[in-house]
Amino acid sequence: MSEEPIDVRLERVRKTFGAVVAVDDVSIDIPRGSIFSLLGPSGCGKTTTLRLIAGFEQPDRGEVTIRANKVTAVPPYRRDFSMVFQSYALFPHLSVAENVAFGLRMRRVPRHERATAVREALDLVQLGAHADRYPRQLSGGQQQRVALARAIIVKPAVLLLDEPLGALDKMLREEMQVELRSLQQRLGITAVFVTHDQEEALTLSDQVAVMRNGAIEQMGPPREIYERPRNEFVAGFLGASNFLDGTVLARDHAGAIVETAAGRIPASAEAAVGSKVRIAVRPERVRVGPAGSEGLPARIRDIVYRGPITHLYMDSAAGSLLSYQQNAGAQAWQVGDEVRCAWDAQSGVAVVAERT
Amino acid sequence: MKGAWAWMLAIPPLAIALLFFVGPLLHLFWVSLHTSSQSELYGAALTLQNYGAVLTDSFYLGIIRRTLGVAALILAISLLIGYPVAYFVALQPPRRRMIVLLLLLFPLMVSNVVRAYGWVAILGRRGVLNSGLRSFGLIDAPLDLLYSTEAVVIGLMTILLPYMVISIANTLSSLDPRYEEAAQALGAGPVRTFVHVTLPLSTPGVASGMLLVFLLSLSAYVTITLLGGPRSKLLVSMVYDSVTAFQWPRAAALAFILLALALVVTALILAVLRPRRVQGMGR
Repeated sequence: MSEEPIDVRLERVRKTFGAVVAVDDVSIDIPRGSIFSLLGPSGCGKTTTLRLIAGFEQPDRGEVTIRANKVTAVPPYRRDFSMVFQSYALFPHLSVAENVAFGLRMRRVPRHERATAVREALDLVQLGAHADRYPRQLSGGQQQRVALARAIIVKPAVLLLDEPLGALDKMLREEMQVELRSLQQRLGITAVFVTHDQEEALTLSDQVAVMRNGAIEQMGPPREIYERPRNEFVAGFLGASNFLDGTVLARDHAGAIVETAAGRIPASAEAAVGSKVRIAVRPERVRVGPAGSEGLPARIRDIVYRGPITHLYMDSAAGSLLSYQQNAGAQAWQVGDEVRCAWDAQSGVAVVAERT
Repeated sequence: MKGAWAWMLAIPPLAIALLFFVGPLLHLFWVSLHTSSQSELYGAALTLQNYGAVLTDSFYLGIIRRTLGVAALILAISLLIGYPVAYFVALQPPRRRMIVLLLLLFPLMVSNVVRAYGWVAILGRRGVLNSGLRSFGLIDAPLDLLYSTEAVVIGLMTILLPYMVISIANTLSSLDPRYEEAAQALGAGPVRTFVHVTLPLSTPGVASGMLLVFLLSLSAYVTITLLGGPRSKLLVSMVYDSVTAFQWPRAAALAFILLALALVVTALILAVLRPRRVQGMGR
């Protein structure tokens, strides 16, 4: 990965709108052929970051580089990128084929070459039969694929995607995620993907940047972001987490032992013995055993059946706990049962607590 | 059920339209097919003479040509001036856009007659323009500006330009800016973005502006009479003249020729601009 050349680089980019800091000192390197996701709640600056790469916004300071060209002062139409918009922004007065051909026409590619390329691009997204249709005559998913074909036909240095699957229903979205990923890998495209959907970011990306208030809270591969969240915000934004406060009591080769109000729990904190820590544990890592077994004592408050899994909501002296149980066999638990919660040391991650 | 309700609501206005518009129009057409009479509204014999006479008479043909020429000139100028103004208006933030549009509407709040006499006072032989040019020594004898086709065009322009600007500005300001960004993302500079995306997407506004301006220019009367004088008459003046000469069937025929011109040009404008294409359903 690290040997690949960098296709997009943001260096200490900052953008304000009036008194609002939309993007605050963001630096990103995106290697060729990878998908980079900007993930965060609305208003976190992810879309502005994307628009800074496109050139639709000018940074107050910092440098934007696309394929070794400094483009900070270059207008969008001279930058080597293309973009898929959330609303698709297909030109309604042009047919599907004309929409897809638009970028080549602007690059003055001869007509017959254009026709061949359009046919290939439409075949790639399985819309070859719809070339002469018009945008509103297509379904949402088909429009999405036309937008994608229109963007990839120009072979951009980077493909920018602004919540491209946001308007699709859940089933279609999951289908398109897989399709998008395989298309991107087949063509070796570098892509920057903006989304507020953590599952989508985890599914699609090589690298994820979790943003909040214009700043990047954590950046890394999906597994690392999910399993080793650095702070409470990241842990909470990517799926559910149990948070437990305590003091590091001892350390050994397996990790640390943390003393909480409900008892001792294992964790992988690197903090010194005696320091206060907040431990995050993913619900799917929480094992539930009968009273008397090893673990944190808790009582079941609520049981929610969710098909493949069951959610167990529990109360403990250290706060509420959530566990996901695979519905592989008969479920023995009842509301009100006294239980014990346990997990491996590496599943308990020390996170930086929110300042409240 | 929803459709039934809609029909019920539409019945009163439909009845009124039938009674006071479609009915009289059919009657007018009936009148236009008769000979004229000294004592009655129209004579007893059926004839196509009223249409035949107008469409073969070089005097009338000249007036039809002038009518279309004036309308075409007004359309061209109001489009050339109106589009850039509309573009500027559309770029303003909503509040300022309202203020600018109100300013544009301001001339329309003055009565047609008053405004036409205003132009008389400016363009007349002893008018503001001539006396101004003379006092600066730029001309020796006053120019004949009034009572010409040019005066008619200038007079109509001031009334009709706001219609063009407002209808284009409305379309432009409601355009999703993502379309222009999408064009730029695909390598189109400002000029090509305008030509390939903004302009075609603004055709509904251009078409409605052109139709308004054209139809209003065909039916304007006061401005044409006061600024055109006896030398620069248009078709609408001939309708009036025929009525005052008690040539009712002739007047009716002229009115239908006017209507036919309006329909043909409307069809032409819609065929060339194809405003429906922005709906994304093809032609």
